[in-house]
Amino acid sequence: MHYLPLTELQAGMVLAMPVRVVVCGQLRFSLPAMHILTVDNLHQLAAHHAEYAFVALPDERVDEEIAVESALAARRTLEIFAGADLGDPNMAALFDQVLIYRSK
Amino acid sequence: MESRRLSRAEVISRIDALPAFPEIVLQILVAIDDDEANMAMLVEHIRRDPVTAARVLSLANAAVLKSRRQGAITDLFTATSLIGTGRVRETALLSSLGNFFGHSSAAMPSTFWHHSIAAGMCAQELALLSRSGPALGAALIAGLLHDVGQLWLQCFRADAFAAAQAGAGEHCISISEAERECFGVDHAVIGGWLADHWALPENICRAIRFHHVPDEALDEALVPVVHIAEVLSNALDLSQGCVNHVCSFSVPACDVLGLKWNADVQPLFGRMEARSRHASKAFPRIGLR
Repeated sequence: MHYLPLTELQAGMVLAMPVRVVVCGQLRFSLPAMHILTVDNLHQLAAHHAEYAFVALPDERVDEEIAVESALAARRTLEIFAGADLGDPNMAALFDQVLIYRSK
Repeated sequence: MESRRLSRAEVISRIDALPAFPEIVLQILVAIDDDEANMAMLVEHIRRDPVTAARVLSLANAAVLKSRRQGAITDLFTATSLIGTGRVRETALLSSLGNFFGHSSAAMPSTFWHHSIAAGMCAQELALLSRSGPALGAALIAGLLHDVGQLWLQCFRADAFAAAQAGAGEHCISISEAERECFGVDHAVIGGWLADHWALPENICRAIRFHHVPDEALDEALVPVVHIAEVLSNALDLSQGCVNHVCSFSVPACDVLGLKWNADVQPLFGRMEARSRHASKAFPRIGLR
């Protein structure tokens, strides 16, 4: 499941969480969880200036691809945190969460 | 590295060589906590800024097209009504500050704008976490402007600034340390001087000034927001192409925001990345290299 910006949403994707566009405290547009997005929905989301949606995406990668991408994500995360003291529990906790996020 | 010290007077004396700071930002700040009452004023200020006005109309017409309504929208009142005041305000801020950055220096890399957008979006998401947190518009502006001191250095001390950046990498020190060695002050201090000169609200000035040393000003709600926003924009690699590094962060700032680094932050990370990517596409670089 991923948060995707509006420009990357496609018809056929399944919402993993409801979309609610609230303007000035008023609900202007909503779609329920498990709803399958249609082309019209994409237009409606754009018209209401939604920025993103949380969608369920099937992971069609084979094990090798997952392993390679996980390794790349780990390497990039290590580069970003190269100057950090990962012995510090707070820094280590942030690092772990970023690594989990990047490895999805 | 060069060791010429910068003073506030010197920084401010060069400010006229920068493009005029967009007045609309200050005007929007006046109305920042009032969604409806100041719509006429907001529209009036947008009208004076042709680039921003064009963007708002473009956004509204894109919505018309997508919703298959009839007729093009040609006036800002209708456009604002359709889009919603909050979104118009955000559009105006992103557009006007994007123009400002774009026209400030042809030499500033586009990654600077992407980093600024990412920090702005992260700041808004963090502000949303806290019920008593800062206004979303203020968080966006502070995030967008947090590194404006680097813009000044790039414009007026480009060679020394490049040397400081290179020195930071060579000596494994933070860019702020390298800047202090080179200029006596870092970009956060310079940015604070600029924001103060532009008469931005004190909370935004302090958020810019203390974004690398938040523990000195945790009494200001916007300070931990902008500090952690920058940390996360780097940690999540949101401004790809930038040299993103995380060396340290303030635990007290996290405590103020109620942030715990556990699985609960995963949705926050997702929203930050999705919004940053969306904003970067909606507001591409303008005049930046």
